[in-house]
Amino acid sequence: MKQVQVHPERCLGCMQCMLACATAHSRTKSLFTAVGESPLPKPRLHVGAGSHDEGFPNRCRHCDPAPCLLACLPGAIFRDPDTGTVLVDPDLCINCASCAMACPFGVLRYHQDWVAPAAKIVAQKCDNCLERQHEGLIPACVEVCKTGALTFEESDEALRRKTREVARSVSMGMEEQPLIPTGVQLLRQAKKQRFEMRCR
Amino acid sequence: MEYVIIGNGIAGTSAAEAIRRLDRQGAITMIADEDEIPYCRPMISNLLAGDIAAERLAIRPSSFYDDLNIKPVLGRRVQSIDPAAGKVRVGDSDLIVPFDRLLIASGADPRISEVPGSQLPGVFCLRNRSQALDIMAAAEHGRKAVVVGGGLVGLKAAHALQSRGLQVVMLIRSAHPLRLQVDASAGRMILAKLREHGLQVLVEAEVAAFEGSGKVLENIVLADGQKIPADLAVIAKGVAPAAGFAADGPIGLGPGGGIVVNNTLETTVPGIYAAGDVAETMDVARREKRVNAIWPEAVEQGIAAGFNMAGRRVAYRGSLSRNVMRIYGLDIMTAGVVEPPAADDSYEVVAVTDKHRDIYHKLVFRDDRLVGMMLINGIEQGGVLLSLIRREVAIVEKKERLLEPGFQVGKLMPQYFK
Ligand SMILES: Cc1cc2nc3c(=O)[nH]c(=O)nc-3n(C[C@H](O)[C@H](O)[C@H](O)COP(=O)(O)OP(=O)(O)OC[C@H]3O[C@@H](n4cnc5c(N)ncnc54)[C@H](O)[C@@H]3O)c2cc1C
Repeated sequence: MKQVQVHPERCLGCMQCMLACATAHSRTKSLFTAVGESPLPKPRLHVGAGSHDEGFPNRCRHCDPAPCLLACLPGAIFRDPDTGTVLVDPDLCINCASCAMACPFGVLRYHQDWVAPAAKIVAQKCDNCLERQHEGLIPACVEVCKTGALTFEESDEALRRKTREVARSVSMGMEEQPLIPTGVQLLRQAKKQRFEMRCR
Repeated sequence: MEYVIIGNGIAGTSAAEAIRRLDRQGAITMIADEDEIPYCRPMISNLLAGDIAAERLAIRPSSFYDDLNIKPVLGRRVQSIDPAAGKVRVGDSDLIVPFDRLLIASGADPRISEVPGSQLPGVFCLRNRSQALDIMAAAEHGRKAVVVGGGLVGLKAAHALQSRGLQVVMLIRSAHPLRLQVDASAGRMILAKLREHGLQVLVEAEVAAFEGSGKVLENIVLADGQKIPADLAVIAKGVAPAAGFAADGPIGLGPGGGIVVNNTLETTVPGIYAAGDVAETMDVARREKRVNAIWPEAVEQGIAAGFNMAGRRVAYRGSLSRNVMRIYGLDIMTAGVVEPPAADDSYEVVAVTDKHRDIYHKLVFRDDRLVGMMLINGIEQGGVLLSLIRREVAIVEKKERLLEPGFQVGKLMPQYFK
């Protein structure tokens, strides 16, 4: 099954994925109108700075077993049997933050949402864009990612592709193919250097 | 194989489910005091607050016992265990249940008050569903309530009663609430917040008596003679392991009064296991045996006990005290050692405060390991920090970095994920 794969080494921190995610989870599904919605749609994935200030996209891993699911008090967190996606039922959620305490990746947030009961604050996390997938679309964050930091593919295919890329980058005679596109490399390098200068 | 489980709380329930994943044939008997479908105990405070309906407490379908082919013996208490004969005695009756593997998942009982008048109608504990319903009935006619104790359950009870429109006075022995979870500065922050939300809190207050004329509660009398009028009172002075029936047998109890288990959740008697609020386990942060009476531990211990009982050896890594609470406009998440022993210089504390955002974050390290955290507001990354405590990883970066704004899992060095 295709899954969103994260390749942090390619992330530039442009946050386009966050915008696309918030829009995909809005009522109107268009950025232009989504910004006027109340409650304001919010992203389910979060781009932060990595250990050297490079970009780092952080989203739910849909772990199995899922610590959040085991810790959920009202039984609001469940796994979609078809896709393995870990989901939150906004009707059952009591906003206790037990899931935030259990999640080793820190991906849960708590806010209102147009699909939740009005004015109710509920736990929010990535839902693999199941709604979009039903319509034959790929997850919004992947669709918008320009650097290949987010891809939608089988996990063994992702692994094979990475192996291929590494092999090619060190093989003589092949057409020169950097492991990470030169532009991406340069920008990440610049961020890292800035960070190191600050640390000195 | 005959499995017997004492208690149908989340530890017993999780164990039964784990056993059934490995063993479809063996007979499982669940003996439990509460005649209920497994329900979410922490949510009785949401019930009391009027946030949810009583039906919403159930966390398993009503066909739970049938689905898992469990023989339920409900509304009955286990009186004693005969480990040598492999038998459990139920009530003072004739019902004797034999076992090959026994799980004690009897949870905890609220600590009761010894002062005069604590038996008066109108004086309650908040531990199970029926008590919550009793308090709700009493609150129908009451206007004034007193909560004795400023722990997690005390705060939740006070908040719930306020939501019902009652005027609530909280009496606490220490100088601030959540004494077991937070330090004095956080305690002062929390105290101020409670008062801001209309909760009257009397600190360093000692209850001397519950006073009533005839059959109704009228006043709570303090040691200094002060009288506080009340229509109902909730005593929330913490819990103690419900291990009375094992007290004078060969099953070993620990200093915390819980049933001591090893890393397979087995007690000192082979074939007898314990899990949840009744069990005393190795605390990974404190490195000593401790009862960590919290829901997520009861789940994990129940699952691990169930697997081991059914023959799959799984090692339980030890427990960690942790709590999260969003109440009175505060988000509070704590874990492990929050106040290190002053004389011990292997501990190091790193803290930040942000007055504008009402944030106070504190991390406690022992040598290069994170062993405790206290987050007042801004709790989103608490799970990341907590996983560093639980996995006992050596912290290689500057400790302060873990509290910088913008900290998230991507900031951690890749070696943590090996
Ligand atoms: C109001 C409230 C709020 C809480 N909030 C939180 C929270 O936010 N987060 C958190 O982590 N934890 C919370 N807790 C604690 C949590 O509920 C417990 O840690 C958890 O329920 C323990 O599960 P257990 O299965 O070990 O024991 P229990 O749930 O206590 O179940 C044990 C069962 O065994 C029965 N039993 C006892 N003795 C016998 C006997 N001799 N014979 C037969 N049956 C017996 C009992 O009646 C009970 O039904 C809260 C507790 C309360 C009361």
